[in-house]
Amino acid sequence: MTELTMEADRRLYERLDLIAFFGATCLFFSTIEYLFPKPFPFFRLGLANLPVIISLKLFSPRYVLLLVLLKVLGQGLINGTLASYVFLFSLGGSFASAFVMLASQKLFGERISLVGISVFGAIASNSVQIFLSVRFIFGMSAWVIAPPFVALGVASGFAVGLFAQKFLQQSRWLGKVRESLQR
Amino acid sequence: MKVSKDNFFTRNTHPLHLFITSAVILPAYLFQDELVVRVAQVLVFAWLSTVAGKKIKWMYFVIMVSSITFFNLLSPMGRVLFSIGPFEVTQGALSSGVMKGVTIVGLVFISLFSIRPDLRLPGRLGGLLVRLFYYFERIVDTKRQKLEARRLIGSIDDILESLYLPGEPQEPPQADTVATSVMGASVMAVLILSNWALLFV
Repeated sequence: MTELTMEADRRLYERLDLIAFFGATCLFFSTIEYLFPKPFPFFRLGLANLPVIISLKLFSPRYVLLLVLLKVLGQGLINGTLASYVFLFSLGGSFASAFVMLASQKLFGERISLVGISVFGAIASNSVQIFLSVRFIFGMSAWVIAPPFVALGVASGFAVGLFAQKFLQQSRWLGKVRESLQR
Repeated sequence: MKVSKDNFFTRNTHPLHLFITSAVILPAYLFQDELVVRVAQVLVFAWLSTVAGKKIKWMYFVIMVSSITFFNLLSPMGRVLFSIGPFEVTQGALSSGVMKGVTIVGLVFISLFSIRPDLRLPGRLGGLLVRLFYYFERIVDTKRQKLEARRLIGSIDDILESLYLPGEPQEPPQADTVATSVMGASVMAVLILSNWALLFV
């Protein structure tokens, strides 16, 4: 019994450590994102979501949500935006995206690829962020920016999802991650 | 947002003390209803952010305040100041737009100077964040290995394998925490007192 408990503890520890590593890659991608030119000052490509999208195929929903929480808190601490509206936007957008991606995966199963899941996630994230910006910052007039903002989100969600799909299929390292999680 | 690790705040203040300072300043800042005073506060917070090693993208904040003001002007309020074609700029909409924009930007600056990566959150989540930052620093330090466009996924794999072998967790080293110095405590006290005093001037 004690050995079984120790084994379970070890597995939990390894899994949480892996989630922390995935969270670190999210932070890394969010710093890379600054290198790309943006059509709108408030627009984000969503590269930091890449590890989150891949995690959908590796971890259970509660670990995916933990990863999202770590990503949001990590970005808030690294960038120093934890006590500002930026954190609220990031929190709202990231969790909306995660819930929608988890739901679409559950609902469509094998009939949906990571590209579709990523596009759904991007739409959810952008919709929540537009709602928050209308509600708390710009006022009702800001609805005019919604169509181009969502369209750009769909395009970037498509690109990020495409890369996530390819990486999931071809990466040696992810193969090792899968093996270690199945052990 | 680029961050310099060695600065006045990291040398002289404990991250939790600095965070508490910002939490105490926050109500005084939000209760301030004089636009000129609030702009002055925002400029001080911006300067403190640069002291804290944050490189501020000024254009981002200028666009932020301008766009908030612009969207506010679309709902006219009060006396008409001037017109640009059919578009009327009203005093109420203009002042409330600028106030709103400046307030939001000020909140970002308060956050920028007072939140540091070495701020430790309590519990298991705090422990996970320590691990996250440990791995993040390792990823950032991996400068020798470069991504190759021709074998992008293969080269990403090389980097990931050199950083983390699944099933072999690593132990982050214990980080030293800086204690608040007399100088640091004085600066924090001045910040709190001056922001609250401005409410009664």
